[in-house]
Amino acid sequence: MQPMAGSSQDRPQPEVEALRYLPLGLAVWSAGGCLSYCNPAFAEAFGLPHAALKDLRAPELLDRARRQGTLISCELPDGEEAKGLDAGLRGAQLVCADGRILAATESPLPDGGSVTVLIDVTESRRAAQALTRARDKAAAADQSKSRFLRAANHDLRQPLASLKIFAYSCLVAENEEDRRQALHAMEVSISIMEDLLGSLLNIGQLDAGKIQPAVATFQISSILSRLGVQYAHQAREKGLDLRIVPSKLAVVSDRVLLERILSNLVGNAIRYTDVGRVLVGCRRRGLNLRIIVADTGIGIAPAHHGAIFDEFYRVNDTQAHARHSLGLGLNIARRLSDMLDHPLGLVSMPERGSSFFVDVPVGNVWHSGTGEPEISERIGGEFAGICCLVIEDDKILRDAFTTLLERWGLTVVTIEDFDNVAKAVRELPAQPDIILTDYRLRGRIQGTDLVGAINDILEKPCPALVMTAETAPEVIASIKAQGFPLLIKPVSPPSLRVLMHNLLFEPDLLTKFP
Amino acid sequence: MGNATVTIGSMVPLTGSSANDGREFRNGLTMAIEEVNARGGILGRPLEAVFIDTGNQTAADVVRAARQLISKHKAAAIINGYNIGPQNAEYEPIADAGIIYMHHNTLIQHHDTVASDPQRYFGCFMSDPAEYWYGPGFIKFLSWLRDSGRWRPRNRRISILSGPKPYSIVIANAMAGAAPKFGWELPHAPQIHPTNSDWRGILEKIRAHDPAVLAMTHFHAGDLARFHLQFMERPLNCLLYLQYGALHRAFSEITGEKGRGVITCTVIGLPRDEIGRKFAADYRARFGPHSTPEIGCQPYCSLHHYAIAAAVAGGIGEPGNEQLNRRIAKALIDIPYRSVAGMIRFHPAWQAAVPFPDATQDPSLGLPHLFYQLRGPEEPAALIAPEPYIEQAFELPPWLGST
Repeated sequence: MQPMAGSSQDRPQPEVEALRYLPLGLAVWSAGGCLSYCNPAFAEAFGLPHAALKDLRAPELLDRARRQGTLISCELPDGEEAKGLDAGLRGAQLVCADGRILAATESPLPDGGSVTVLIDVTESRRAAQALTRARDKAAAADQSKSRFLRAANHDLRQPLASLKIFAYSCLVAENEEDRRQALHAMEVSISIMEDLLGSLLNIGQLDAGKIQPAVATFQISSILSRLGVQYAHQAREKGLDLRIVPSKLAVVSDRVLLERILSNLVGNAIRYTDVGRVLVGCRRRGLNLRIIVADTGIGIAPAHHGAIFDEFYRVNDTQAHARHSLGLGLNIARRLSDMLDHPLGLVSMPERGSSFFVDVPVGNVWHSGTGEPEISERIGGEFAGICCLVIEDDKILRDAFTTLLERWGLTVVTIEDFDNVAKAVRELPAQPDIILTDYRLRGRIQGTDLVGAINDILEKPCPALVMTAETAPEVIASIKAQGFPLLIKPVSPPSLRVLMHNLLFEPDLLTKFP
Repeated sequence: MGNATVTIGSMVPLTGSSANDGREFRNGLTMAIEEVNARGGILGRPLEAVFIDTGNQTAADVVRAARQLISKHKAAAIINGYNIGPQNAEYEPIADAGIIYMHHNTLIQHHDTVASDPQRYFGCFMSDPAEYWYGPGFIKFLSWLRDSGRWRPRNRRISILSGPKPYSIVIANAMAGAAPKFGWELPHAPQIHPTNSDWRGILEKIRAHDPAVLAMTHFHAGDLARFHLQFMERPLNCLLYLQYGALHRAFSEITGEKGRGVITCTVIGLPRDEIGRKFAADYRARFGPHSTPEIGCQPYCSLHHYAIAAAVAGGIGEPGNEQLNRRIAKALIDIPYRSVAGMIRFHPAWQAAVPFPDATQDPSLGLPHLFYQLRGPEEPAALIAPEPYIEQAFELPPWLGST
């Protein structure tokens, strides 16, 4: 056996020399447990000079490598940290600082010593770990599915049973009023089921890790105003005063998830408050904005404060308001706030109301998105919000004008019944700000006459422009003599735009129109 | 083609109400062409500009200019500042010829025209952001003043006054749309008012609403100066914003010391960094101390961007050479250009420059929307927002102390 490098003048035997080029670390231990030979790959695994390893015992070798920072840990097959190694590395797994994992396989030698080979098992170990993670995830998903089904089975039965009864009541109802009441009750049961399913689906998505926050800067006012719209009716029906105090600040969060948190808090507050009010307000606290949902409801005893955010937890199942709730709303709020790193808390005492709060980082207003997905004339053009009445009996042309004008941001209304104009105008969904009419309509009706009739009905002079394919000078002269700006078909969109602009905003310029 | 001279067309209002700007646009393009030619042209071909006066900038004026540049002068590209009034009518002859058109019309309409048929309008680029961005940008600026404690508004009310042009109406509507989202209230809908008129009546009506801010979105420097002098006869107790034209020398010359404190802005101007300052100095050295590099920079930047894109695309496409011009258009989108005015990055769908901080949070990816506050008539306007371009601090306008 070739001794350690530098310790002999003899030429090594060729087969021992070959071991120097082996990419696997290889070491030979004497019967006394000292290192008598190792190849360069073995020394390199420990990040120690080859010559310095001579006669080292395994614990000393590991100790030096640890101090050097090249070895992170050395585990024996039973999971114990290798401390009392006497001879060799006894099948230990070495975790190196460069990320490699090396398995030491040990074989005895006839002289009582042993030989160690280090095998790189990094890839196989990672694959095994990934497999374990995938198995755990699948097991968790399976567990979640079972829990979902159990909860669904339990909580959806009641409204389903009610629905069955109401459906029967509806079928046998003797008069319209009874039927109407039964239908209303069915509607309530369905909305309860919708809420329950919505909560269960949220939990399902959270369990499956399918919710990925999209954090951005936005104005908190956008969420607050939506909450007001969403819950105003519910609060009014219970006789509660829902007050949302506006805030002007920008926050950094996921707009959808934060709205779900706050929506759950407000929904809960309304459910558990019988008299008084629910108040949503914000207070700046250093770098955060504290959004508070306070109610004058039944309150929660301190003993429940910790568990109130647990899944399916209800303080008192017997209470009427708890019956239509799974006890999932606060759990969803907690899990989402954890995901967003927004602290969620509670201040409450029985009979003295509750105050839930969530802390959200304040954002830079310059970065605040205005919520518009894409700018276009439809939302920001000069005609946005203006209503145009299009009178054109050729459906293809009418559709083309409608498409064009809607792209410019106008709301387009039309009338097709020229025989009863008064009725048609009264039934329009919006009053026109401008009229675009063909000159020659079916039944020998002239667009200019129609405009006059419409103005009489509207009791205002609505600006109008006339289009015609007729180029006879007397027709053109007649239209102009009546004071209408005119476009010859086919109408060029830029010309139409300029004329509409002038009619609406710069009528003085119309006199310059040829 | 060898090294034959390339014609770059330019439609500029050298007469009429925008003649001052038109002359600067001509200067900017001239200077950029001189620089490109000094480097050997584009792939060895020297450039030559042909300017056509668009006068009152009506659709007919501008379309006629485009046709003349294409048919008579065989312009390979048309590059200019703005023309108010053609309503994109000039896109049609340009799209028919399949050439590149780079302008600074600052119109939201550009987005819709391009989106309506991207294949047809592949060559039409707006090298500055749409006017729409002035709206949310200004509201964010005000909110930043308020939230950072630089200014404490007396109330949340913003009065918006607009001129009758589409540009002003779009900005007024965009401001009105954004204001409530940032905690502001509109005591009345934007007032669209004819120009060349006595503003005193409307100012008194606005006074009754007692706003904390008055924003005027009409943009002609002369009209704004008249408006401001009437405002200063009996100032309202509010911040005053005047759209763009207040940056012009003509505004300061008319209003003098009374202009101090007015807030204005531009979505394409000159940041006062090393690059911007050097350009301004070179421009004034070339065109005189009273020239305006802040306006001349617009076609200057576009010409340089075009030269880079054409070189990368491998040549210059005269009218009819749509294939080559499509390659140039692609290069214009693919290669953002850090111009003297800041980063010009064309949005691939809009074919318009993306503004910072209105549409991107990254100053290296958007053309800066710069906010100024006027100082004395002899001082340059103070660049007060946004970071990282701030040069001076916002000051309370002098009339706020006395009202």
